[in-house]
Amino acid sequence: MSRALKLQKSRWPEWVAALQRTAAVIAPVRLHGEDVAFERITSPSEITLDFDNTADPPKRFLFPQVEPLLRYRRNGGYAVEPVYDEEPRVFFAIRCCDVSAVRFFDFTLGAQDLPDSYYTARRAGTALIALACHEPCQSCFCVCADTGPFLPPGGGYDIQLTDLGGEHYLAEVDTDKGEALVAAAAELFAPASDDDLAQRRALEEASEKRFPSEPRLYFAASSRKVSLDTAEAELWQRMARWCVACGGCTHICPTCYCFNVTDAQRNGDGLRSRRWDSCQYAGLTREASGHNPRPEQSDRVKRRVFHKISYQYVARDGMQGCVGCGRCTRICPGLRLGLPEVGEAIRRAEWK
Amino acid sequence: MEKRPNIYLPEIARIVEVRDETPDTKTFVFRFRDDQFHDSFAWRPGQFVELSVFGLGEAPFGFASSPTRKESFDITIRAVGALTRALHAMGTGDEVGIRGPLGNHFPFDDVQGRNILFIGGGIGLPPLRSLIHNMLDERDKFGEITILYGARTPTDLVYKEELKEWEQRSDVKFIVTVDRSEPGWEGNVGLVPMLFSKADIKPDGTTAYICGPPVMIRFVIQDLVSMGFAEENIISTLERHMKCGVGKCNHCCIGHKYVCRDGPVFSYKQMKGLLE
Repeated sequence: MSRALKLQKSRWPEWVAALQRTAAVIAPVRLHGEDVAFERITSPSEITLDFDNTADPPKRFLFPQVEPLLRYRRNGGYAVEPVYDEEPRVFFAIRCCDVSAVRFFDFTLGAQDLPDSYYTARRAGTALIALACHEPCQSCFCVCADTGPFLPPGGGYDIQLTDLGGEHYLAEVDTDKGEALVAAAAELFAPASDDDLAQRRALEEASEKRFPSEPRLYFAASSRKVSLDTAEAELWQRMARWCVACGGCTHICPTCYCFNVTDAQRNGDGLRSRRWDSCQYAGLTREASGHNPRPEQSDRVKRRVFHKISYQYVARDGMQGCVGCGRCTRICPGLRLGLPEVGEAIRRAEWK
Repeated sequence: MEKRPNIYLPEIARIVEVRDETPDTKTFVFRFRDDQFHDSFAWRPGQFVELSVFGLGEAPFGFASSPTRKESFDITIRAVGALTRALHAMGTGDEVGIRGPLGNHFPFDDVQGRNILFIGGGIGLPPLRSLIHNMLDERDKFGEITILYGARTPTDLVYKEELKEWEQRSDVKFIVTVDRSEPGWEGNVGLVPMLFSKADIKPDGTTAYICGPPVMIRFVIQDLVSMGFAEENIISTLERHMKCGVGKCNHCCIGHKYVCRDGPVFSYKQMKGLLE
């Protein structure tokens, strides 16, 4: 399914207001200073569409940093009940890389052979309105990851907006959910013309050409070495000297989903929650006996890259675990251990 | 709210019996509080559960009893951390959460007609006991059954009464050893591999199941390979820190395999291929 409509630029706030009547709208908001982040908005006026990408990915709205799973009560015997969050929500103006990351979560957490019912409950009520990118942002390399700057039909969005440059957005509607979002304010939309579609194609091509030649990640070469375990062991050790094990790269990553599970209780009543964990922490694999199968930071740096780009995981999860947003590069205190830098070092077999 | 399958939701089980095995190890006998659920609960040896001690969280434990004995199920647990110590303080009638069965299981149907060799070390015997009971309950489906077991000291042997029964059975060859003797011990002293020479093992036609501390598994596998065992006929379990037990949380991966979902049972051939 795919059909193209036009939306007058000046009228998107009316559309958002209409969407707010049935769902929480989560959209880019400029915070104090310069950062733009996804927030639950109360009014369309809070939204900024003048941003390259948000500082952190929107994953916390689908996979919260701390998420209650079960409530249990002791009243004689124990009673356990799940805690679900099914509030309908719409992501407005989510970038293509982040849409791709949601798709990755659909493969991993949502995998239908063993669905994570917390994720699938939240995801079922979530719609994605993407905003295609005309300009690459600092550090991004979505062209290398094939996750942007525009997405093709079936790319994971419900609607993809493209700023056509003049008075209009092009709105590509790709799903039933997308149709429902249009129906919320149908009077704002008109059919798009062939010229509009040609314009969209031209914009996509122009956008791709604007991506800088660096940082560039040749996934095929680095992925081959990581998959076959032929990357030089010395590389991991050198990288580990830069790593302070802060976990920033994994927390900021739109596709990372390691978690830990903890109980908190008072007087026999309690809450079991999961919270983000990181493969960069020694505690991820440490066993009750004290034995740790990944004792060195170099083992953990290697682990992260393996999970992101090895063929084995691509085969298992349906797509690569990197969507090229470049946030890992921006968050790394040493600015060295982002996936483009690490991938490039593996390909060249040198880390200076 | 509609009821949906929830992979994290435990069922409540009650402790129906606690047996002391060693100074730090007990066997807990569980039954689900809901009889109907208990009757429908089916597992295979080698599988495990995530056991909740509410307030402290969950930890994975293997079944120690056979699904052919359905009235209850056993889990043998050593006290090593906060959760297991709390469990050791619990008694008959106390409630825990049980999530499972999880993971794959020991090959059973595929090894019918073959000779079976069990090699257990210390607290590694309990998961094997689940399979041993299962095979003894269907004894005519298998060839010779040999059980080799070692522990640090005679005190550290689990299932002491049962070991005597195995020793007396004519359809099982059972040999036990300890690393260090104690007064009153008249049996073998030495590490588990020394039992191979006493056991008359035929590598062809035998499948070996190993469970024990990692260092023991490593040496035993080397010995079996040099005896001529095919790599796919050497079966063991891998251990990793696990949280979700269903291949989501990423704590237990080795390469792209999850010990909780793809394992915990692997043949030596599979283990060798695990890459990280």
